Formats: sequence, structure tokens, C-alpha cells
Amino acid sequence: MMIDRRLIREVDWVLLGLVLLPSLIGVFFIYSSSHFLAGNYYFRQLVWIGVSLIALVFVLVIDYKFFVSLSVYFYGLTVALLAATLVFARFIAGTKSWITLGLMQFQPSELAKIVLILLFARLFAEYKSSYLTTQRMFFALLLAGVPLILIILQPDLGTAMTFLAIIGGAFILAGLRRKTILVFLLAAIVVGIGGWSVGLKDYQKRRLTTLVNPLHDPRGSGYQVIQSKIAIGAGGLSGKGFMKGSQSQLRFLPARHTDFIFSVIGEEAGFLGVLTVIGLYFFMLARMFSSVSKARDRAGVYIIFTAALLISFQFLVNILMIIGLFPVVGITLPFISYGGSSLLTNFVACGLVMNVRMRRFANV
Amino acid sequence: MPEVSIYEDLSLVRRRANTVFWVISALIFLALSFYWKVQIVDHKKFSGLAEANRIRQRALAAPRGLIFDRTGKILADNGASFKVSFIRENVEDMEGSLVKVGRLLEIDVETLRSRIEQYKDLQPFEPIVVEDGLSSRDVAPIESRLLEFRELVVDVEPRRLYPNGTLAAHVLGYLQERTPDELRAEPDRAARVGEMVGKTGVERQYDDILTGEDGKIIEVVDSLGRVVREENARQNPVQGGSVVLTLDHRLQARAEKALEGREGVIIALDPRSGEILALASFPTFDPNRFITRFTPTEWRDLMSDPLSPLENRAIRGLYAPGSIFKLVMSLGGLEFGFVTPDTSVFCSGSTQIYGAIRHCWYEPGHGSMNLADAIKNSCNIYFYTLGRRMGIDMIDKAAGLLGLGEITGVDLAGEKEGLVPSSEWKTRTLKTPWYPGETISVAIGQGQLQVTPLQIAALTAIIAKRGQRKPPHLFLSAPAGGKGGVSADEDGKPPFKLSAFESVIAGMWRSVNDGGTGKGAFVEGLDVCGKTGSTQVVSRESAERLSRAGREIKTHSWFSGFAPRDNPRIVVTVLVEYGGGGGATAAPVAGRIFELFKDIQEK
Repeated sequence: MMIDRRLIREVDWVLLGLVLLPSLIGVFFIYSSSHFLAGNYYFRQLVWIGVSLIALVFVLVIDYKFFVSLSVYFYGLTVALLAATLVFARFIAGTKSWITLGLMQFQPSELAKIVLILLFARLFAEYKSSYLTTQRMFFALLLAGVPLILIILQPDLGTAMTFLAIIGGAFILAGLRRKTILVFLLAAIVVGIGGWSVGLKDYQKRRLTTLVNPLHDPRGSGYQVIQSKIAIGAGGLSGKGFMKGSQSQLRFLPARHTDFIFSVIGEEAGFLGVLTVIGLYFFMLARMFSSVSKARDRAGVYIIFTAALLISFQFLVNILMIIGLFPVVGITLPFISYGGSSLLTNFVACGLVMNVRMRRFANV
Repeated sequence: MPEVSIYEDLSLVRRRANTVFWVISALIFLALSFYWKVQIVDHKKFSGLAEANRIRQRALAAPRGLIFDRTGKILADNGASFKVSFIRENVEDMEGSLVKVGRLLEIDVETLRSRIEQYKDLQPFEPIVVEDGLSSRDVAPIESRLLEFRELVVDVEPRRLYPNGTLAAHVLGYLQERTPDELRAEPDRAARVGEMVGKTGVERQYDDILTGEDGKIIEVVDSLGRVVREENARQNPVQGGSVVLTLDHRLQARAEKALEGREGVIIALDPRSGEILALASFPTFDPNRFITRFTPTEWRDLMSDPLSPLENRAIRGLYAPGSIFKLVMSLGGLEFGFVTPDTSVFCSGSTQIYGAIRHCWYEPGHGSMNLADAIKNSCNIYFYTLGRRMGIDMIDKAAGLLGLGEITGVDLAGEKEGLVPSSEWKTRTLKTPWYPGETISVAIGQGQLQVTPLQIAALTAIIAKRGQRKPPHLFLSAPAGGKGGVSADEDGKPPFKLSAFESVIAGMWRSVNDGGTGKGAFVEGLDVCGKTGSTQVVSRESAERLSRAGREIKTHSWFSGFAPRDNPRIVVTVLVEYGGGGGATAAPVAGRIFELFKDIQEK
């Protein structure tokens, strides 16, 4: 399948640049925060960036409409994979979310995010009424609920939360009435209270109480937030310099190269570094959301919007979490944190956005 | 190409998407302003927290000050104590390493393993002490092979060392680790874990002078406490100031040798200054054992030993003074006008007082005697008579003037004050009136009377100096500064008139040099004056019963004296528990001390 020359002209090179730049910044800080560990994380991340770029090209080559039309099969496959993960996978860091494919370890729950984006695009492609009906809403919730429950069972609270972002995004786009929002809020409160007393694990409860008062448990889950805030605050305006942060180099920071990599940036590059990275994200997200207006059809709008929301949500939760404004849930900073599955997912999501924008003219 | 016809109307969803983006932008701005607050506004606070995270202070133990005797001999020194620690992180093959290390340190592999497993909760890089308290000789073969043993480190700390073992143990005292309670009591003090502090003796009395200033090292550590590097800021420890004692190690050693195997006390002091030249209490202990740590059995044995070797009998042992008290009686009798030096009493071997028959220790009787004769022969009948004349309260007054019933104020903690009974004391504590018959027992130093050997030595010094009071003490000087010794109420009025002292001293001289009870203490050419005493440990009635049964009655044996008669330079007090008669046991022991003193003086 050859790609049209005109299509290459339409590729959103700006967005690609805005995605690659944070990815490369990420490699530097992964190096800074893990060079004393065995495992060459920065190199592995570079390889993953390469793999992700290939995947992105692959996503670009095929018309998104084709993906949307296949989304039901993808969905079935993903649910099966998630179920298999739950049965066969070994526990890693307390959860069963990884499966091993040859040399690579992969999280099917990451793949599920993409599938959900495509599935909802298909579900709402012909949905022209200005508000979401209860019937359709329940159907959508049912579809999303199956993989969601499988993920909660792993248990992987972070990914489950990003799922809610995608679902919520699609519903907002389809149009939520005030009444529906109220029902959702009520349901959230009931589930929240019920979940607190029944469903949440102790460590998850601790994370929530820690948000209110990190000193409540300074050696346990409060420790991460305290150390992270110390690192960020100690960075000051211009930071302590690359590979010179005492919090990260002396390992006071937890999960330095994954969830808490932005703390390393805050410590070593200071507020200027933070401003630069957050600025890059702002332009990246602005570029993605602006592509909404370039989409040719409703399915395209849904794809761009939910994909952009997926990245926005992870980004916001991560930067709020490491500074103590959000509970510590295992959500990484997209493109920057170490981790192949999440990198791949975000690149693919980005590829879908570019795919829709690229094919915005009906006659090609 | 009209767009509307080809593209469906997506303006509604586009508007909604736009709104959501504005919400996200607002959230990003909110996050950014919070980062600004943490990084710019609160930067100082978090900077300080980050520093505190990575900086750790480690104390460097300061050696204690040395303790010397008056001749410059070191009584308490500092040795280097080496400890060998094991670092698990540096081990590749645990089993092989345990065998090799066990062979090197001569520790059984199982012991080594259990010692290491005791601390398995520690981080693997933290050293675990496997061998402690090694001397430099012990550690030399280990240090020479340290390159082969990456898992071993050798540390050195100064440690108290008493080079002469038990010599002057009761004077020096011992050290113990500061307890958590003591640490809490002084929160301002920069205390170090495992810091040793003086518990008894001079080590306790002059702890402030002897304790040095700990140094410190500032280390940069990682989140696990692993030392990353040492900062240049190193503050070296400052050794404590030394203390010179009044002791003379030769007299001290002789005194301890003389006591060996018996429970008792020997005190030698200089009456001119109150400087204690020797203070031996037996049985004794080795203060080094408190440093190298006791095994539990050793500690139990020490604490439950019926002979209580840790007690300093010189200041804490309470004994009846026996016939030594006749010196007090004589001085009081002369001073208050109950006798003159020429008052004579006839001793027939026994007499009847207050309806009871009282015996002299010398059954045939001493015949007619004046005061000096009575002291020389330690005649009981004479002092029964004197006691009846004086009454208990005048006796109490005389004893008080000579310092009995109160502490001497020596610079050692825990001194006991003893007891001199009086009619007021008895009605106050026992709620019964004083019976005149009890006075008779007190007159010969029995009854409720209780004195410490040091009180007797101080009393003898007052007699030797004809009333001049120089409280006994151990502190001679602290070269690096620091105060010590005792505050003397110097050159106070002599408690008794000079003639009274001369009469008593005449009796004491005759006791030693004229065939009296103290003749065992005679030293050619030294003019020793002294008084013996034998204290009944059991009551008079049971003593008589025992003697009738032909059993040997053991009594505490006293001698206290000074030399020479004019311008005395030394006082020696000897107490031997269950030693028998004072003349037979204590006096010859004192003689050996006087002899050595004479030799030292002539050299």
C-alpha cells in the first residue's frame, strides 16, 4: 500500500516535533536518574522511541477509517488478552498487568486505551443528536466496562483512571445533560464511599489520606510525595544542574526514572526547566486540540479529542501528583517517563491524531 | 466546492472540544503557579530539607583524660580498642567467606553466622561488628590481610585502660555506658551512643575534667544511609584533662598486698594536708572489666558476691570503732574535766557497774593506771569508769568534735556518715529513753556506734596535728585546669586543748613503743604512735557463750596511728574484718606501711 505524495505533505510535522522533543528530553533525565543502576534504561528508552516511531508511521499509512471499522475485532482481542493476563501473568510490583512477549514485556492495558478510542469513534461516528441518550450511554459504559473491570482486577488503578478520562471525554463530546451529570456525580459519591470501605486496598487508601497530609505517613506513601516536593523545591529557579540533584542522585526520590521523572527535572533544571517542559506540553496539546477543527468527520473528531484528552489527563495527573496535589496513582508522564508500553501507546495515540488531520480532505 | 455539502456539521462537538481545552489550559496554569510557589517562594525551605536529607554527622570519640598518682605513674590510661566489622554487601560467596573470616578471626563459623544474622535487618552495606575490644597486637595479623578480605573493616576507638589492673580500683572507680535515662536528663549535651561515663570513684567525681570533647565528621549519605563521601569539615576530638591524685602507688600497692585475701581497709594519709596516700579496700575488682564488657555470668557473680567487692569499704563500710574510741573518750574526758592525766583507776580484771559485772579484756587486771597507761594497755575498766562519769551526751559531743557521725567530705561519692548515739537520738528514732548501762558499751567503742575507716583516719590526723583539721582528699592537681579537692575550714580553733592531745599521744606512743597493744606497728627510728581496737561482731552475751564453748571468736581488727610523734607526716589506719585482736593483726599490717613510708622518705 503506497502512500500518496500529497498525504506526506499533510503530515503534521510540527506535532511530531512537539512529541519527539519531550521524548529526547526524557532520555537525558532518564540517564541522569538511572545511570548508577544496572540496565541502561536510557538506551532502552531510545530503542523504544525508535519502535514507537515505526509504529507511528504504520498508523499513519493506514486510513483511520479502516482502524475504526476493525475496532470491534480489536476490542474482542484486547478483552481476551486482558483476561489472559489476569490468569497467566506473574505479579510484578504487586500487580498482574504485564505479559512477556519474547524479550519485551508489554502491558495489554495500554493497548486497551487505543482500542477504546477507536471503539468510541465508531460508536459515535453516526451519532448526530446534540445530547447523549441514556440508552447509548449505558451501551457505551457496558462496552468500556468489561476491559475496565479486568484492569481494576489486576489491580492497576492508574490505567483504570485514564480509562475514565477517555469515557468521560467521549460523553462530553456527545453531550451530557445537567441531569445526567448530576446522576454521575451521585453515582461517583456512592461508588466512592462504597469503594473506600470495600474495594480499595489499604495502600490505595493510604495514598488518598497522604494527599491530605503527607507527614501522616512519612516513611510510607507520604515519603514519596515529601521527597518529591523537596526535590522540586530544592531546584529553585535554575536547578542544581544536570546530574547534580542530590535528591535524585542520592536516591531519596522514589521511581526516579518512571513516575517521578518530572521531580528530577524540577530539581536539576529548576523552574525554568519545568516551565520549558510544561510549555512544550501546552503547545503539543494546543496543536492536538486545534486538529479537532481539521477533522473531516465525526469519527475523526472523536479520535483526536479522546486521544488528546488521554495525553492531557496523564500529563496533568502526573505533574499534580508529584507535587502533592493529586494522590499517588501509578500514572507516568507521557513521552518523558521511562517505559515502553506507555511510550508506544502515546505515540500511537499521537499517530491517530496526525492520521485524522492528514486525511482531512474528502477527495483524497 | 461548497464545504457544507460534503462535510457534515461538526460545529457543536468542535465547540465542546474547545471548551475542554480551555479547562485543561486553566489546570496547566494552576499547576504552573503551584510549581512557582514551591520552587521560587519556598525554595529556601526545601533546599534546607534537601541538605538535611543528605548530611549526616558522626561523632568521633574523645579519649578521656589520664589519671596520675603523685609520682607521675599513670593509673588510668587510654588504649586503642579495635573492632572488626563485616560488610555483607562486599561478599560474593557467603559460605566461603564465613569459613575464611572465621579462620582469620578464630571464631567458630556458626557463632559468626548467628552474629551476622542477628543484624540481617540492617542495610547490606552497614558494617556488623563481629569482634570487639581487640588490642593492636590482636589486630595486626588481621590488618595485614585486609586486602584479601573486602568484607572486613577495622575501626579504632580510644578506650579506657587501667594499666595496673586492680590497683586503686576503689579510688579510680569504673565507667559505664551512659544510660538512655541519663541521656534524656541532659538534652542539651551532645551525647554519643556508647559513651562511657564515670560511675564511681575519681572517674565519677572528676568526670567533667576527664571527659573530652567529641569530634565529628560530616558525611554525605544517600537515601539508604550509605556514605557517599566524607566532607572536609572534620572536627577532631579533644582529649579530656588529666587529673593528678594524691596517691602514692608504692604505698597503695603495699597496702593492697598487705590486705590480699582478707576483707578490710588500709588508709594512709598525710595529716599536714589531708592528702590520701593510699586507700585500699579488699576484696577489689578490675575496672577494665567494665570496659571490655562482662559476660552475664561474670556480672551476676559480681553483683551477688557476698563480699561485695565493688563496695569501697573505706567510705561505705560501717564498723564499731572498738578500743580506737578510747582516744575520743580520753580527749573528751580531759577537755571537759572528768579526768586529768594523772587520774588513776584500779583495774582488777572486772568491775560492777549499774549492777552488771563488766570484764576487762585482760583477765588478771592491769592494776592501778593513769590515763596514758590505760591507752597503752587499752584497759576497759578505766574507760567504763570514765564513761559513767561523762554520760552519753558528753561522749557524743567529743565524738562530734572529732568528726564522727558526719561525712569527712572526701572527694568520693557515696560516703556514709556513720552513727554516734546520744540520748536525744535515741528518743527521736527508737522512742525509748537512754539507759545509763548503754553508755558503758559506747565508752569502749561498742553499742550503736558506727564509723567508717576514713573517719577514723581523719580523726587520727586531727590528733596527730594536735587539733588542726585537714579534711582527707584525693585531688592533687589538674594540669589542664579544673577544680577539685575539698574546701577545708582551715586553721579553725583546735577542738581540744593542746595538753589533752599531748596526754593522749603519750599513751599512743607507749602503746607502740613501750610494749603496749600496738607494739606490732613498731618501726625502728620512726616514733610511731597508735591505738589498736578489736570490735566484737556478736553481742557480748553470745560472745561469752561462744568462748565458754571453746569456740574462736572472730572480731574486727583495728589499728590507727601516725608517725613520727613530732611533726607527723603520715597517718595509717587499718581495718581487717574478722581479723582477730587489733594488736595481733592490724598493728603489724600498719607497721609494714610505716616501714615502706620510712624507706620512701629516706630515698
